[in-house]
Amino acid sequence: MTTRRLGDASVRRGLRLIFRMLFRYRREAVASVLFALGWMVMTVAGPFLQKVVIDRAIVGERRDLLAPLVGAVLAVGAGRALGIAGRRYFAFRVSYRAETDLRNRIFEHIQRLTFSYHDRTATGELMARASSDLSQVRLIYAMLPITVANVVMFGVVGGLLVALDPVLGAVALAAIPALLGLAVVYARVVLETSFEVQERLADMATVVQEGVGGIRVTKAFGREMAEVARVEAVADGIFAKTMQLIGKRAAYVPVFELIPSAAAVAVLWIGGLRVIGGAMTLGDFVAFSQYMVILVFPLRITGFFFAELPRAAAAASRVVELLRTAPDIVDAPDAGPMPPGNGEVRFCHVGFSYPDGPPVLEDVDLRIPAGSAVAVVGSTGSGKTTLAYLVPRFYDPSRGQVLIDGVDVRRIRLDDLRSAVAVVFEEPFLFSATIRDNIAFGAPDAGDDQVRLAARLAQAHDFIVELPDGYDTVVGERGLSLSGGQRQRIALARAMIRDPRVLILDDATSSVDAVTEAEIRDALRTVMAGRTTIIIAHRVSTLALAEKVVLIDEGRVLATGTHRELLASVPRYREVLAEVSPGEEVAP
Amino acid sequence: MMYARYGADDRVERPLRLIRRAVALGRDLRWPATGALVAAVVATVARLAGPLVVRTGVDEGIRVADPGVVTRASILYLALLVVQYGTSRAAMYAVTLVGERYLRRLRVVVYRHLMGLDLGFFGRTKSGVLVSRMTSDMEALTTFADEGAISVLTSVLTVLGVGVGLFVTDPGLAWLVMALLPLLVAASLVFRRYADRAYRQVREQIGLVLGALQEGISGVRVVQAYTQEPGQQERFGRVNERYYEANLQAARAISTYFPAVDLLRTVGTAIVLFVGGGRVLDGTLTFGSLIAFLLYLNWFFEPIVQLSNVYNLAQGALAALSKLFGLLDRTPAVVEAADPRPLPEPVRGELVFDGVTFGYDPDVPVVRGLDLRVAPGSRVAVVGETGAGKSTLAKLAVRFYDPQEGRVLLDGIDLRDIGFVSLRRHVALVPQEGFLFDGSLRYNIAYARPEMSDEEVWEVCRTLGIDDWVRSLPERLDTDVRERGGRLSSGERQLVSLARALAADPALIVLDEATSNLDPESEAQVERALGVLLEGRTAIVIAHRLRTAERADRVVVMDAGRVVEDGTFAELVAAGGAFTHLRSVWEQAESVWGDGGGGSSGR
Repeated sequence: MTTRRLGDASVRRGLRLIFRMLFRYRREAVASVLFALGWMVMTVAGPFLQKVVIDRAIVGERRDLLAPLVGAVLAVGAGRALGIAGRRYFAFRVSYRAETDLRNRIFEHIQRLTFSYHDRTATGELMARASSDLSQVRLIYAMLPITVANVVMFGVVGGLLVALDPVLGAVALAAIPALLGLAVVYARVVLETSFEVQERLADMATVVQEGVGGIRVTKAFGREMAEVARVEAVADGIFAKTMQLIGKRAAYVPVFELIPSAAAVAVLWIGGLRVIGGAMTLGDFVAFSQYMVILVFPLRITGFFFAELPRAAAAASRVVELLRTAPDIVDAPDAGPMPPGNGEVRFCHVGFSYPDGPPVLEDVDLRIPAGSAVAVVGSTGSGKTTLAYLVPRFYDPSRGQVLIDGVDVRRIRLDDLRSAVAVVFEEPFLFSATIRDNIAFGAPDAGDDQVRLAARLAQAHDFIVELPDGYDTVVGERGLSLSGGQRQRIALARAMIRDPRVLILDDATSSVDAVTEAEIRDALRTVMAGRTTIIIAHRVSTLALAEKVVLIDEGRVLATGTHRELLASVPRYREVLAEVSPGEEVAP
Repeated sequence: MMYARYGADDRVERPLRLIRRAVALGRDLRWPATGALVAAVVATVARLAGPLVVRTGVDEGIRVADPGVVTRASILYLALLVVQYGTSRAAMYAVTLVGERYLRRLRVVVYRHLMGLDLGFFGRTKSGVLVSRMTSDMEALTTFADEGAISVLTSVLTVLGVGVGLFVTDPGLAWLVMALLPLLVAASLVFRRYADRAYRQVREQIGLVLGALQEGISGVRVVQAYTQEPGQQERFGRVNERYYEANLQAARAISTYFPAVDLLRTVGTAIVLFVGGGRVLDGTLTFGSLIAFLLYLNWFFEPIVQLSNVYNLAQGALAALSKLFGLLDRTPAVVEAADPRPLPEPVRGELVFDGVTFGYDPDVPVVRGLDLRVAPGSRVAVVGETGAGKSTLAKLAVRFYDPQEGRVLLDGIDLRDIGFVSLRRHVALVPQEGFLFDGSLRYNIAYARPEMSDEEVWEVCRTLGIDDWVRSLPERLDTDVRERGGRLSSGERQLVSLARALAADPALIVLDEATSNLDPESEAQVERALGVLLEGRTAIVIAHRLRTAERADRVVVMDAGRVVEDGTFAELVAAGGAFTHLRSVWEQAESVWGDGGGGSSGR
């Protein structure tokens, strides 16, 4: 990652987002800043009061003043504690509130972005927007109030020091900017190096993940030690980078720890001589030492803030980029409900291409009569999936139109359209929820009867009731692992509960053994009855379910007809299908 | 993977034993560790001596107006600072060096152990858990090594040193300040308990948030297809809000504890000022001592707060250690014999199952009393329904598992007696779903024999008929297979996987046929390559397709862990037994005509 500077336009947009969210929670933010300023005032007042105690009560030998003055020290201390509490609490609230809200917005936005966006964006990248990027942004909110107070404090304390003693004050004032600069440089150097360490650690995750994933291959060829050597190399990298980081940290951190002591030396030497010379009181002497101590932590924190700010702004700008990406498929202003009909689907001279991409589909003209089933066949990348996905508007055609029962799908409200067109995806994604919730996913109000009916239609009921908790069995990422065939059938049931007018089945029979495939095929046969169905077929066996076959090749409809017709008349069809193995005849 | 990190429970049983064991692993690091300790002690002493110098400067210099003493004290202090800088820098570096060296070793030791474990273990354990052992657990230890360890060391030394310093300066006043200590400790303990609970909540909730997020992203197509965006958003919003609440709980704890500690510090200062100031007036305490006391106080509270912060890191590190040692305590179920024999060359590849019984759970045998002899150079197809024990047979044949009863013999030698190197050299299991490692095509093909020359790798490609394809790639053998990630089709991955097996040149190949379908063209290519690979070798093929069985010299039908039919394809078809049933199911699946006749066997 390149470090982006605060001047970049995108980074400025990031900063604007940060400030917009800050404005939304201005009450908490202002409260936190006020508490921080209160804390600052009390912090500065503390040593001053100590000075008064020493000069007036102890050196001035006024025992009667000792108790009230110490009482004042306590009161100021209590105020300071209150300031810390309020500052921290409200800063936490702003920061977590902003993070939570932004995460909600990101999630909402991700849900609205269309297939074409998700096709080209990795899950991990979107995860990073909503997790690590937001954490970085949150840090700024958490640190902002104290930074405001700190910056004010540098001014106030500087002024006080000069007022206490011009000579020592001048020395201290010269030291503050230098130390602040040092703190910023330190934070930047350390952040950069620790970022590199993080990258090495991520390498480790990748290598181990792969080593564990490929363990069967590794064992099969007896190459365990080669895998260990890989990990060893990454471990060496982590070690070297970390030591580089620590080398830097060990050079800088003791400097900060030395500041109070260095100040003490300066105070002892310069101040001591000036006290002897009568230019300074003993109380001034003590106050000076205390002020220098007070400044150390704010210096480090402020340095960290300014080093962190560009990174947070860059993170925020990535979030802005995501939020500014407009979903490319939305309801037309004059969109209406589904037209009446039984689900006739027509593709009229449809073309599709990704922006700046070669055409995926070209001039596809096709009519699928209501209630009939069509199998779309083509080799990988031929555009057959894209074609089917134009019906529920997962993509919009670049040219031509797609009609359901005579109406362009772009003139139908998305909700209505997608309720009427159910899709069973190639990879049957199940949510981490009960089987019932998964089946009722598209119809959350469905009763148990409907869920069971859909499951029966999809031939899933029998295996579901045999599971430990039946319909209440939790599946998905964090639940019971089901076989590919079982997941397929649940996905089918999920489609069935919507009683769709049009059904789109994307190669629903991959990755299962022959027996399961037979079961799924039986299920398909029942669910397809009387419904317009588009089957995106990879396997020859699936073709049996369709009345008509459409051969797509390089984005065009090459031929339509029955399987038998195509076999007889289209050589390319035979190429695509019949080469399952050389020497094996497919034709009758 | 990421849930494991956040959902982890940090409580640890018997921490002392754990620490002793951890220390034992790093015994040879004791000298650098001692060096770090010495440096830290010197640094702390140098730091703590400062206020005493100031006291001398005030009492014997400023109070009696002797500039010479003030100057000498200042120079002495300055010298102490130089020493302090050098030693703290050295201590910080050395402590981390020890920690990181230790961790580097631990990573390799744990991973080596992991790689030696049997596949049964990998089958039972989610890969995310194993990855988190090597990543988040190690990182918990790193964090402690980099930030916690030095902090603990200097904090403990400082508290001890300041304590001594306070008592040396003035015992009476020291006792008074010490009286605050129980309060501080009590506050820290209460905070600890409360914060632990709050942070556990936070960890649980972040796990749920990330889980919901991941699901919302991976499942976004389904969500949109079923127009459930609002419902998903609401669900996510609820999870997200609970995370916010948990964070706020933790924020409350923090926002209470730190001000409380700060207040205690003020109370300490007030006591010193009031009592100490009074005694200065009485003449029982010098003014310099009072100032030294005030300086010490600043150092007394900070380390205790630090320790309280580090407590979290230490807890996390201990939890990680306990999980790592738990992994190291696993013993592999398959180990090399004490006196392994190499296979006598040339290896003929005769494989015999002799009354083999095996179950992943010994009480539930998957393979029962299996007898089977595979003649050298012959190809046997193993068929049967899901759960018949086919894959288990394959794994036993390559000694991924050892049978509970009976023996598996290769060229007459029990697999358990053969050395690992020799066994892996001559026997290969080829999972046909091509798993590729991150790296170049060359790395993947020459995986079993990295010493292969480029010419040899090309020869393998030529033999397999994939050389034209490799030449068409932008960087040929140097093409990074992961960068092209999704772009290597599953057919291409399978071909690379077959090339890898061919490069290994084993005498016995056990092949688990891929169940996923390829587009017909790639399928034909894979078929051809397979034919080349199996040529002249003993092969056991777990078949999922009819034509694979058809091509074998012999077909073995398994059911419930036993061989129920055995013979040539034609014999079994003629016999009309279990195989006939299986064949009809397959035919239906593969048939072009569905219910009709024809299809692959229709000639």
